[in-house]
Amino acid sequence: MNKTFAVIRREYVERVRTRAFLISTLLLPVFMVAMAVLPALLMRGGDHTSRVAVVDASGAGLGQPVITALGTATFGDSAQVRPRYELTLFTTDTEHLDQVRSGLIAKAGFARDTQPDGWNGVLVLDADTLASGKLHYYGDDVSSPNGMGRLQREISKALAGVRLSHAGVDQALVAKAMAPADVDTAKVTDGKLTGQSGKASFVLAYAMGFILYIAILSYGSRTLTSVIEEKNSRIMEVLTSSLTPFQMLMGKVLGVGLAGLTQMAIWVGTALVLGSQGPHLAGAFGIGAAAGNFAIPSMPPSLLAVFLLYFTLGFLIYGSLYAAIGAMCNTIQEAQQYAVFVTMSIVVGFMSMFGLINNPSGMLGTTMSFIPFFAPFTMPVRWSMTAVPPTQLALSLGLMVLGLLACVWLAGRIYRTGILMYGKKPSWGELWRWIRA
Amino acid sequence: MSSISVESVTKRFAGHTAVSNLSLQVPSGGIYGLLGPNGAGKSTTIRLIMGILQPDEGRIALFGPSGSGSGRNLSSRIGYLPEERGLYKKMKVLDHLVFLGEVKGISRAEARRRALVWLERLEIANWTQKKVEDLSKGMQQKVQFAGALLHEPELVILDEPFSGLDPINAQVMKDIVVEIAAGGRTVLFSTHAMEQAERMCDRVAIIARGKLVANGTVAQVKADFGGRHVALGFSDNRPLADAVLADPRLIARMDDYGASAELKMAEGAQPEQLLAALVNAGVGLRRFEVVEPSLHAIFVAKVGSDLDATPLPVATGAAA
Repeated sequence: MNKTFAVIRREYVERVRTRAFLISTLLLPVFMVAMAVLPALLMRGGDHTSRVAVVDASGAGLGQPVITALGTATFGDSAQVRPRYELTLFTTDTEHLDQVRSGLIAKAGFARDTQPDGWNGVLVLDADTLASGKLHYYGDDVSSPNGMGRLQREISKALAGVRLSHAGVDQALVAKAMAPADVDTAKVTDGKLTGQSGKASFVLAYAMGFILYIAILSYGSRTLTSVIEEKNSRIMEVLTSSLTPFQMLMGKVLGVGLAGLTQMAIWVGTALVLGSQGPHLAGAFGIGAAAGNFAIPSMPPSLLAVFLLYFTLGFLIYGSLYAAIGAMCNTIQEAQQYAVFVTMSIVVGFMSMFGLINNPSGMLGTTMSFIPFFAPFTMPVRWSMTAVPPTQLALSLGLMVLGLLACVWLAGRIYRTGILMYGKKPSWGELWRWIRA
Repeated sequence: MSSISVESVTKRFAGHTAVSNLSLQVPSGGIYGLLGPNGAGKSTTIRLIMGILQPDEGRIALFGPSGSGSGRNLSSRIGYLPEERGLYKKMKVLDHLVFLGEVKGISRAEARRRALVWLERLEIANWTQKKVEDLSKGMQQKVQFAGALLHEPELVILDEPFSGLDPINAQVMKDIVVEIAAGGRTVLFSTHAMEQAERMCDRVAIIARGKLVANGTVAQVKADFGGRHVALGFSDNRPLADAVLADPRLIARMDDYGASAELKMAEGAQPEQLLAALVNAGVGLRRFEVVEPSLHAIFVAKVGSDLDATPLPVATGAAA
């Protein structure tokens, strides 16, 4: 046991000390922050007060209600509310419309620093507008789908209000009737509210699957590389004269796994901090409430436990398989031919997550969480998205442990013979003999 | 009591037999030399003893006839320096030694203490915190040597311990080997440097092409080889000696070094006859001495004639 521990420590310490570990550990959170912050920063570009000239040639006094409706639109967080539009009304008649419009358009679409009193847009309401709902907008921001959608919504609201009041409906009633619906989603588990929104579950599930995928793929395959390096550096002969193959295998897989877990812990910790401190951080970046949409939800402890459990088991299964492949081969190129099978099943597990996001409790999800190779991906995702029956969790974990024992046993047999085999790689028949020997 | 008992062991690799019906008894205590040309099966024999390879036939026992365990199980009592040196290149020297000690079952603190003593003794104490890859090959070899001895094993098995070392480092290592044996422990080492083996070993086994060709104490091997041997040193007129030395009635075989030669006298021939013949021929002599045959001469006589014919194994590590 002490010997295994010595191997674990060596693998762990030597790995965590490397510069590559430090860089990859730091880079991913930086990447995560960038992913959260960049879109918000980019979107902020669209958030400024637009100077809009409203030309009312409707003859029906449409201009004023439109201005009132648009004037209520704001952006920014509670600390700093700013109006979305700065509106000026030009009332005219049909004859002079063209002239007024051309005059205003001539002053529109300039960068703000060259023409401080220019317009961002010109909104023209003509005689048909009230009846047909047709109106024209000329502006520098017409290619922004968000901005135009917003404009259209606000004007529709104003038009509806005017039409209703023309039909004799009381203005106050109109305002009440037009109040927007506001849907707030919340996830239910076992008849209890979890306090997570639907969107939060999705983000969490996806992030976990991704982290697991990256970890197994990069760290699992690192056991393979490291076994081959040991074979090539001939340190293997010293090790075999001191350690049993099982000690070597377990020490390596656990040591590499722990290094992986350390990195995971740093990443997940960063994510949690980002999640809980999201608004503050967003404030620090000066992006306001826009970042609220991207805040990472806090992780419930049960989910964290399930995730870590499956992470560990999954890592050990894949790690021992990768180590066995390393023991069979002499070069990394050679090993990759075999490693493809293992990598494929990791990819299948990862891909299945996307299917699960639509239907976490379906046939596919349930079946896959009983297959040890896929369960590490599917189970945490299902756990985060839906209520998994405890019997299913127990069965899945039981099968995982059995699968792990089988893989470690198999890998140990291959390891025992393989680590000292140089030269040609074994045929399937020889491999079978190693396992039976 | 035998430290190592190898009984009728055969090991075949694809295409050739590396060790053929080999039997050895390495007694407890002293230095045992395993001699042979390249590809003779020395390393394979050592790997079999270590339990790294399994024999196809025969039986190997360590530490007495009841010792059924292989080298792997008894590893805490054995120190092993493989022929293929291997260390983790990125590890620091001291950390590496501590690790090697730990996997032999000694505590971390104790491993550290002993490692520092060894590094001091091997004159690489300044390199303690350097990475292994920054060390010269000779220094790496010393580190691995120390690693094999850290747990104070009662049996030390060294595969070509002196190869690749400069004379000063070889001297340091030799002193350590002699000291271990003087302390009552057993050392088995393989080499093809005969002079060194002759000076250090209590017992030797010479193997060629996987077979044992001579075995026993050095004196015994020499006695078994038999015959009268003469060492010659020439001062001048060396070519005049050729005719005399080519006479099969006088000389059975000769190791010619140019300015000197080691001869085995033919059956029934007397050293005096040879001396007379050389003087008559007018050869200038610096040295004429009746000697024991050197291990080198025995080695060359036993395996030398077909040294070139010895099939070198395919360059696979396990068969070397």
